[in-house]
Amino acid sequence: DSWGMLACLCTVLWHLPAVPALNRTGDPGPGPSIQKTYDLTRYLEHQLRSLAGTYLNYLGPPFNEPDFNPPRLGAETLPRATVDLEVWRSLNDRLRLTQNYEAYSHLLCYLRGLNRQAATAELRRSLAHFCTSLQGLLGSIAGVMAALGYPLPQPLPGTEPTWTPGPAHSDFLQKMDDFWLLKELQTWLWRSAKDFNRLKKKMQPPAAAVTLHLGAHGF
Amino acid sequence: MALFVVFQTTFFLTLLSLRTYQSEVLAERLPLTPVSLKVSTNSIHQSLHLQWTVHNLPYHQELKMVFQIQISRIETSNVVWVGNYSTTVKWNQVLHWSWESELPLECATHFVRIKSVMDDASFPEPNFWSNWSSWEEVSVQDSLEKGILFVFPKDKLVEEGSNVTICYVSRNIQNNVSCYLEGKQIHGEQLDPHVTAFNLNSVPFIRNRGTNIYCEASQGNVSKGIEGIVLFVSKVLEEPKDFSCETQDFKTLHCTWDPGTDTALGWSKQPSQSYTLFESFSGEKKLCTHKNWCNWQITQDSQETYNFTLIAENYLRKRSVNILFNLTHRVYLMNPFNVDFENVNATNAIMTWKVHSMRNDFTCLCQIELHGEGKMMQYDVSIKVNGEYFLSELEPATEYMARVRCADASHFWKWSEWSGQNFTTLEAAPSEAPDVWRSVNSEPGNHTVTLFWKPLSKLHANGKILFYNVVVENLDKPSRSELRSIPAPANSTKLILDRCSYQICVTANNSVGASPASIIVISADPENKEVEEERIAGTDGGFSLSWKPQPGDVIGYVVDWCDHPQDVLQWKNVGPNTTSTVISTDAFRPGVRYDFRIYGLSTKRIACLLEKKTGYSQELAPSDNPHVLVDMLTSHSFTLSWKDYSTESQPGFIQGYHVYLKSKARQCHPRFQKAVLSDGSECCKYKIDNPEEKALIVDNLKPESSYEIFVTPFTSAGEGPNATFTKVTTPDEHSSMLIHILLPMVFCVLLIMIVCYLKSQWIKETCYPDIPDPYKSSILSLIKFKENPHLTIMNVSDCIPDAIEVVSKPEGTKIQILGTRKSLTETELTKPNYLYLLPTEKNHSGPGPCICFENFTYNQAASDSGFCGHVPVSPKAPPSMLGLMTSPENVLKALEKNYMNSLGEVPAGETSLNYVSQLASPMSGDKDSLPTNPVEPPYCSEYKMQMAVPLRLALPRPTENSSLSSITLLDPGEHYR
Repeated sequence: DSWGMLACLCTVLWHLPAVPALNRTGDPGPGPSIQKTYDLTRYLEHQLRSLAGTYLNYLGPPFNEPDFNPPRLGAETLPRATVDLEVWRSLNDRLRLTQNYEAYSHLLCYLRGLNRQAATAELRRSLAHFCTSLQGLLGSIAGVMAALGYPLPQPLPGTEPTWTPGPAHSDFLQKMDDFWLLKELQTWLWRSAKDFNRLKKKMQPPAAAVTLHLGAHGF
Repeated sequence: MALFVVFQTTFFLTLLSLRTYQSEVLAERLPLTPVSLKVSTNSIHQSLHLQWTVHNLPYHQELKMVFQIQISRIETSNVVWVGNYSTTVKWNQVLHWSWESELPLECATHFVRIKSVMDDASFPEPNFWSNWSSWEEVSVQDSLEKGILFVFPKDKLVEEGSNVTICYVSRNIQNNVSCYLEGKQIHGEQLDPHVTAFNLNSVPFIRNRGTNIYCEASQGNVSKGIEGIVLFVSKVLEEPKDFSCETQDFKTLHCTWDPGTDTALGWSKQPSQSYTLFESFSGEKKLCTHKNWCNWQITQDSQETYNFTLIAENYLRKRSVNILFNLTHRVYLMNPFNVDFENVNATNAIMTWKVHSMRNDFTCLCQIELHGEGKMMQYDVSIKVNGEYFLSELEPATEYMARVRCADASHFWKWSEWSGQNFTTLEAAPSEAPDVWRSVNSEPGNHTVTLFWKPLSKLHANGKILFYNVVVENLDKPSRSELRSIPAPANSTKLILDRCSYQICVTANNSVGASPASIIVISADPENKEVEEERIAGTDGGFSLSWKPQPGDVIGYVVDWCDHPQDVLQWKNVGPNTTSTVISTDAFRPGVRYDFRIYGLSTKRIACLLEKKTGYSQELAPSDNPHVLVDMLTSHSFTLSWKDYSTESQPGFIQGYHVYLKSKARQCHPRFQKAVLSDGSECCKYKIDNPEEKALIVDNLKPESSYEIFVTPFTSAGEGPNATFTKVTTPDEHSSMLIHILLPMVFCVLLIMIVCYLKSQWIKETCYPDIPDPYKSSILSLIKFKENPHLTIMNVSDCIPDAIEVVSKPEGTKIQILGTRKSLTETELTKPNYLYLLPTEKNHSGPGPCICFENFTYNQAASDSGFCGHVPVSPKAPPSMLGLMTSPENVLKALEKNYMNSLGEVPAGETSLNYVSQLASPMSGDKDSLPTNPVEPPYCSEYKMQMAVPLRLALPRPTENSSLSSITLLDPGEHYR
């Protein structure tokens, strides 16, 4: 037990420098955290590309066909990433961050449902890893919002998304939902990267601005 | 006939009316028509569920009835199914019946009606069918949710190979609907404008996540919506195979089976099949948690017989297998333990082990396997609890692995697992003498014997050979034997023996003892027996050798040879009755000559060389060509020779040489044949069949012709490598003659030149002195020729000068040497420079009457000028300028003029010819006198030498030349002073 206590103490000491409250040597502002969030978004985009390929193969045709682009009839509960350009431009930073935060909260929940259904262990591992990364992105966005002094959006009671398995959904619609979930995630990550890049430029002095070329990647 | 027809008709009509009456009476009596028919649907199972009642049943009475059910689809007239349903009906009972539709119920309206008939023994015949109930319509389409397109059945689970009907319902007939199965479009049958059905026959298993079927409604190119289903196709559940149960301890039965294919499907549509074990005697059941084995606890000691049923089950099917057995017949023993070895020696050991005791009087059958030296021996033994087995005939110093397994001896079911252990037998003395051979080098006074032996095989060594003992015993003189101990793994030793017979014994020794001795005798006679070497041809498999048997008794033959390139002596022992053998080894290399010596071993163990054989396992073409010398080159022949070429060290037996000759002539020379070279060019070829003939005279050649020659040896495998031809050009026929003449001539000329060089001084003096001898002058002959017989030449020595006067014109010391009688030549030798002979006149500014030598090489004009031949030279003039007078042109002019003058009369008045010595000129040849700093000569410091001349010609007038004989000597040294 004494060894356990010692190990615990060592762990705490090891992590002390990581605690922000104890590590305030100077306020660097929201810049670094925005950069980190942006980097994480790009990493998730890359990670999702391989995960989506595997998962859609797992669903079978037509979901893994490159030109499969069905009209979106189901999957109404998923937060849509597509938004009119004018509307998007009219959004302020806070609104954008809030939308991002809410979207990933929902998407993460649905992703966990996906993980439960996956039959192969390898796919489950990949999904779990992606969920962890997405959870990190959510925390990162929360960090940026806190740094900018924005409050976190509070979930309305009763509107919390839940994953409900069962016969209510047909298996085909379930697969379709999975397809849309992955597609929405892709679009959200692309949009977020753009949002964070814009925010980053805004927060940085003009001399240090870095132009990044972003491109939309389809499935 | 007409009457009969009328009667028959009347009878049938009567019967018909009677029957109608009867049924009406019965129906009235028992109106058992099904009533209250209700039809419900089950979409998941695609079934119609019917329920109805039968009125007017007797109270508390059960009647057996048959119900006929009709099912129509889309419209009532389209009956798709008719069937009977028999059951016992009680009073007031609600009857249920289900029908599964192959077409999804959502895709068509169904109609159902029912009628019944009594089928009970308590009611006498005849029974009549009731009336049909009214059609009951079932339509599920009305209950569909909002949407434009629906596909049914939803998420159906079927077995592989089933036939499935799917359909879609399109709300809008304007939409064009296409359906796809795994990406491929499928075509169906239109049931009505909204509904189309697709029959899928024998659906295959594609993946456990289901087969996706979807339909897309579109107008033009605009997609209006997609709807689909996932058809889950399960593999057919297999019957478990190899189901068996056994016990190791009479407490647990371990049952195993081969489950076959896993029928699990994704999306939790169907889990893996479950397995249940059911024992019929005890009635107990156990759900197995593993898919291929299950343990069953034996609770009743008394139960000996078991009847097990293994049931495999999934959502679609159930399969079972059954076994019945006696528990004592299914004993699978635990593997033996405590395996050990006792009393292990070189050839024997005792193996012991134990088995787990099962019950009293239990007998085991055990099997022992002994592995060692690549062999396996098997023994069976019956034991109780403690096993023991005597292992004999083992090899010494060998590691063995022994293992044992056991089974129930009374009812053999199966062997237990093996239990094993390794052991090593002890060493024993080597069982065989080492194979020994020798090579003898005879030297003056002694033999050097090298002994070789082969290591004993493991079979005969019986342990690790530590050393070899070599005992040398002199057979001629009684002396002590010499023992040498050579540590292993050496395989040879060298002995130097004197000229006596020796017996050598070699033994191999391990830790236990020595092997039998191998004996070899070296005779006192040296092995100088001349044996002719015979050539043999090898093959890929080796060399086949045969020899003549040795006269007398032999105990065997030995063939030895050297392996190349290691140069290791190898030998092979052959029995006494054998006179041939095949030497085959992988060590033989192509192109290497192997020498075999065959020895006969006498009874005294003395080896006697019988034959020598040499050969190649495979002959190769020569690796190099000889270096050919061309000599004795004449205009018609030359000789080729390659004496240095060794025929022995070649990769094959040299059989001869090919001499290739290329020439411009089209015809080959005699003895040569036409041949075509590898490059396609033609040439002439001469074959020499004797390998020792290493020269060839090529004759009949043309002079001044170019020939190309190439000599290559050949073996049975072919010629030597291609190389360049050597060019030979025959000389001209006369050139040799010319050489014979020219050479001596050149030699003579050279000799003369050398002599001339060595005697150059003498020649100079003889042939061209500095001061020509007037007697030798050619002029003399000319003068003589001119009819002037009185002309004589004065000899210098004839002149007796009276005085020599040295004059220094501006200032100088006049030395008058009187009475000096020196010849001119002497004076010149001692005072060669600037020596002038002048008349002794005080006034010498004018041209005085001088008598000079008649020398045509001097310019008379110069004397006329009053300078007496002396050329005034500016002090600054370069020395070469002093040679003005002596330049060849001037000399020539003067010569011409004087010559012309001399041809004429010499006038008396012109007697003032001055003589200027050639020595006065710096170019006179005495280079040492060349003044590096030329001094300014005194003006008209002249020297005139009066010579005795013929009186008539040069008699001076006394007034003018009173002192003719005076010599004025100008000493340069004094002059410069």
